Amino acid sequence: MLEIKPIFNSLFRSKAGAILLVLQIAITLAIVSNSLSIIKDRMDYLQTDSGYSEQDLFQISTSVFAKDTDLLYLLEETERTLLGMNGVVNASFMREVPLSGSGSSSNFGNKPLDQNESEDYRSVNTAYTTTPASIFDTLDMTLIEGRFYTDSEVLKFNGDGGDLPTQVVVSKHYLDEIYPDGDGLGQFIYIGNSPIEIIGVVERAMGPWPKSNRPLNFAFFPIVDATGSQKFVVRTEPDMREQVMNEVEEVLLAQFNQRVIMNIQGLDDAKREYQASDILMLRMLVILIVLLVSITALGIFGMTVFNINKRTKQIGTRRALGARKSHIIRYFLVENSILCISGMVLGAIGAIYLGQMLFEHYSVPAFSAMYVVYTAIFVLIISLLSVLFPANRAANISPSIATRSV
Amino acid sequence: MLQMKNISKVYQTEKVQTHALRDFDLNVDEGEFIAVTGPSGSGKTTFLNIAGMLESFTAGQYMLDGVDVGSLSDNARADLRNQKIGFIFQGFNLIPDLNLFENVEVPLRYRGIKSSERKERVMHCLEQVGLASRIKHLPQQLSGGQQQRVAIARALAGEPRFLLADEPTGNLDSLMARQVMELLEQINRDGATIIMVTHDPELARRAPRNIQIVDGQIADFTLYQKPTAVPVASVAGA
Ligand SMILES: Nc1ncnc2c1ncn2[C@@H]1O[C@H](COP(=O)(O)OP(=O)(O)OP(=O)(O)O)[C@@H](O)[C@H]1O
Ligand SMILES: [Mg+2]
Repeated sequence: MLEIKPIFNSLFRSKAGAILLVLQIAITLAIVSNSLSIIKDRMDYLQTDSGYSEQDLFQISTSVFAKDTDLLYLLEETERTLLGMNGVVNASFMREVPLSGSGSSSNFGNKPLDQNESEDYRSVNTAYTTTPASIFDTLDMTLIEGRFYTDSEVLKFNGDGGDLPTQVVVSKHYLDEIYPDGDGLGQFIYIGNSPIEIIGVVERAMGPWPKSNRPLNFAFFPIVDATGSQKFVVRTEPDMREQVMNEVEEVLLAQFNQRVIMNIQGLDDAKREYQASDILMLRMLVILIVLLVSITALGIFGMTVFNINKRTKQIGTRRALGARKSHIIRYFLVENSILCISGMVLGAIGAIYLGQMLFEHYSVPAFSAMYVVYTAIFVLIISLLSVLFPANRAANISPSIATRSV
Repeated sequence: MLQMKNISKVYQTEKVQTHALRDFDLNVDEGEFIAVTGPSGSGKTTFLNIAGMLESFTAGQYMLDGVDVGSLSDNARADLRNQKIGFIFQGFNLIPDLNLFENVEVPLRYRGIKSSERKERVMHCLEQVGLASRIKHLPQQLSGGQQQRVAIARALAGEPRFLLADEPTGNLDSLMARQVMELLEQINRDGATIIMVTHDPELARRAPRNIQIVDGQIADFTLYQKPTAVPVASVAGA
C-alpha cells in the first residue's frame, strides 16, 4: 500500500519546500553528471600510456655561449659523455622532447600539395621531432613494421640550414590516420610537394603535448640540427636516474664549460608539470561533486527532520489509526522518491542541455546520457539513505502522542 | 469484550515516579456506552490509551476480545487498533495536508482495502455525519464541530466494534457538543461499544454507565446502570 496519491496531494498543498528540494536535486544531477563526464574524459587523458618508461628517462637542455664553437662536434661529444656516465643506458640529442609541453607539429599530406583538389587527398597533423638514429634505443621504442633509420641516413646540419628529409619513422596512431587502409608502410607523406618515405612504424609514441587531441601522433625525422639550444634525452638503468641527474651538470661542464646546463627533469615530472592544471581541475571537480551531493543529502535530511517534527502529532494519529512502523517509514520514503524523481526528470533535461552548452562553448567532450543514468541512481541512493534515518525516528514516535499533545 | 485486571501504569521520569493507574480493574461488555469522569491528572487518558493499545502498561492483564494484549507485537497491536478500535480525540487530530475524503480514508488504506470499496465506505461515513458534500475541503476550512464530525466519520470508516473518545467535546461549544453526543449515541445504538472520557457532567449523565477515576483507580460505581443498547456483532450497515 503506497499512499502515492495522498502524498502527492499533500506535497502539492505545501509547495515551497518541495519545489526547492526538487530544484536542488535537479541542479545536483545536472552538474554532477556533467562533471563526471568531464572527469572521466580527463582521467582517460591523464592515464593514457605514453609508450615510454618515463621513470627511467630525463631531459636536459644546454645552451652554448662561447662563439665559434663547432656545435655539431659538441653535440656528438656531449652524447658520448652522457653515454660514458655510470648508470646511463643511452642518450640522444632530441630537438623536441616528448611530454614536455614544447615541440613542433605540422600537417603532412598523403599526396603532393598540388594534388590537394583530389578526392582522396588527406592532410593530417602530427607532432614531429628531428633526432639521431640512437633515439629509438634511448626511448626503447617497439618497431612493429619496417625499420628504424640508421646513423648514415641522418642529415647533419651545423648552422648551414639544410635539405628536407626523405625518410620518416611514424607512430602507429599517425600511420592509421594518414593511411587508414593499413598499407602505409613504404608510402609517402608530403611537405608541400616533397615526398618523404615512411620506412618504419613504432607501436606507441606520445608527442610533446599529452592534452592535444592527437597526443599519440608522432613522427621522427633523421635530421640532427646542432644550432640553437641542444636538448638531450637520457635513459638510465632502473633506480639510477636520480644519481645520474645529480651528477650530470658537473660532468657536462667538465667536458665543456662554455655553456649553461638547464632544465634537468625526469620525463614523468615533465608530464606531471604539464598536467598540473588538469589534475587541479580534476580535484576541484571532485570537491564540487562531494560538496553538491553532501549539500543535497543534508537538504533532504533536514527537510525530512523538519517535516517529521512538524508532523509528530499526525504520525502519532496515523499510528493510532493502525499504521505500522513500516507504513510510517514507507510514507517518508515514498514522499522522498516523488521529490527525487521529479528532480531527476528536471535534472536530466538540465544535464543534457548543460552538456550541449559545455560542448559547444568549451573544449569538453560530448556528453553521454549514460552519466545521467549513473548519477541519477547514485543520487537516488544517497537521498534514500538521507531519509532513512529520520524516517526511522519518525516510526518510533509513540502513538500516544495522538492523545497527549493538543 | 474488554477486561482489565490489576492494571498499573508507572511513568518513570528522571526524579519522579508517577503511578497513573494502580490495580485498575474493569469489565466492559459488548454494546456498552461508558462515560469516564474524574479530576485532572487522575489517569483517564492513561486508561484510554492503554485500552486503545496506544501505550503499554507496567503490570496486570488486559484482554480485548479474548486476546491477551500484553503479549502482542507492535505490528499486531497496530493491526488490532486498525480493525477493532476507532479513536476520537479532543483535538480532532485530522491530518492537515489531507482533504476530508483522504482523512476518512486513512484507516482503510492501512487495512489494505481496495480503492472502490474505500470510496464507498468513506462516502457512507461522511454522509452519516452530514459532510458528504465537502469531501474536497481541507480540515482548516471547517468549524471545530465539523472537524470533530469528520474525525468521527474516520473512526467509523473501519467499522470498529470499539470507540474510544478522549474528551471529544472538550473543544466544542455546548450546541456542537450535543450534536456530537447525539452522533455517538446513534453509533452506540447501532452496536458499537463506546468509552468516552468527559469533563461535562451533563454529557456523562446521558451515558448509561458512568465510572469515575480518582488517583488511578475506579472510585465509585454509584451511577452504574445496565447498558440500554442491544449488543450487535458489528456496526456493519450502520
Ligand atoms: N508521558 C508521561 N510521563 C510522565 N507522566 C505522565 C505522562 N503522561 C501522563 N503522566 C502523568 O500521569 C498522570 C495521569 O495522567 P492522565 O493524562 O492520564 O490524566 P487525565 O486524567 O487524563 O487528566 P486530564 O483530565 O487533565 O486530561 C498525571 O499525573 C500525568 O502527569
Ligand atoms: Mg486526559
